[in-house]
Amino acid sequence: MGAVWMLIEPICHLLIFSVLFALLRARSVSGVEYPVFVLVGMAPFLLYRNTALRLMDSLRENRSLFGYKQIKPLDTYVARVIVETCIAATVYAILVFGFAWYGFDMTVHRPLEWVATLLLGLLFSFSLGMLLALITHALSSLKTIIRMAFFPLYFISGVLIPASYLPPAMMPLLLLNPFLHILELIRAQVLPNYTPVDGVSETYVISFTVVLLFLSLGTYRARRMHLISTKNG
Amino acid sequence: MFELRNVTKSYLTPKGRRYVFRNLSLAIPPGKNIGLIGRNGAGKSTLMRLLGGADVPDSGTIATDRSISWPVGLTGGFQGSMTGRDNIKFVCRVYGATGEAMREKVRYVQEFAEIGDWIDEPIKTYSSGMRSRVAFGLSMAFDFDYYLIDEVMSVGDAQFKRKCADVFKEKLQTSNVVLVSHSMPEIKKLCDVVLLVRDGGIQVYDDVAEGIKAYNS
Repeated sequence: MGAVWMLIEPICHLLIFSVLFALLRARSVSGVEYPVFVLVGMAPFLLYRNTALRLMDSLRENRSLFGYKQIKPLDTYVARVIVETCIAATVYAILVFGFAWYGFDMTVHRPLEWVATLLLGLLFSFSLGMLLALITHALSSLKTIIRMAFFPLYFISGVLIPASYLPPAMMPLLLLNPFLHILELIRAQVLPNYTPVDGVSETYVISFTVVLLFLSLGTYRARRMHLISTKNG
Repeated sequence: MFELRNVTKSYLTPKGRRYVFRNLSLAIPPGKNIGLIGRNGAGKSTLMRLLGGADVPDSGTIATDRSISWPVGLTGGFQGSMTGRDNIKFVCRVYGATGEAMREKVRYVQEFAEIGDWIDEPIKTYSSGMRSRVAFGLSMAFDFDYYLIDEVMSVGDAQFKRKCADVFKEKLQTSNVVLVSHSMPEIKKLCDVVLLVRDGGIQVYDDVAEGIKAYNS
């Protein structure tokens, strides 16, 4: 059942928004079919969201394994990222083959840069997830709020619409969100005719990731004793 | 041998910090089987986790020159959603047993714990008796200088207890045990030294009978 849900979740998202979009506007965005446009951005976003959120639970889920002194909390974080990535890659592959079979053009315009951006995004969400996990380990009541915060993030990160459809007046503020940058970059690398909005930059994402990674690893270093103590969190 | 120097261990609870041990220093002589006794919640399991390196003290050091098993207890050590076989393989990989060595250990645990084809069911479906049999068998599949055994042997049925005693007798030729138990006959039979954990302190009794008397009084 869990395995089926992995496939159903993105398909549901895709279907609902494809139908909505078809009712509201034209069926294509920057020269590609709308479902293709959404899938290209949504699949990585769901992976990043799951990575960031699931890290909050990985300590609790693997608590019993800390009895083996070789196993550190960081291992459980890394393991979770690997699991999520494998699941997401499988689901994405299945959907891409499905789409191609249906007749959509699923070629990736600039594959190497695409893979690099995907990995960068993964590193970003790993850093984010680890920081969130460390914060919620200290303050577990924040978990619900963080989960809820990812819902609006879905809309302001340009998962469903190109960032150029978002209100231009809000752009400076919206561009603070690294997910928006990552998704715009990914789309530009997959779709040949897609122009990302002004201000999207790889450098911003890279520097944001480096700072965040430094922060989360530093916090981890400071908190690692508390994380293993069974009676805490 | 174990040497504890100025060990302080506390846990944060919602009501504040609770100290289990404060500035504890003691040396446990080498080559002895150690019994840990004390009331529930006195800190026996915490001490065992500290000795095994599964937990770290707030301050102070714990030194040993021996290889020490993971704490083999009633709870923990397993990932409930994975099957028994996967859990055993996981521990084998953590301890560097791969290939034929791993298959051999899986067979050993399956046979020792008498779980048959339950080995391919998730651990969370096991009864507590089965879990403790697997946990105990798994630790026996590896060679350590010290085995940390936390009350696992007291839950099995009579036949399993006999089996544990047999394999233990064999292991204790070359290894030692740190045993947490509420069963005094078991302590008397297996241990040479008794550590009585009480009120955040530890008293070492070289005479087992005397330690048990102090515990009962």
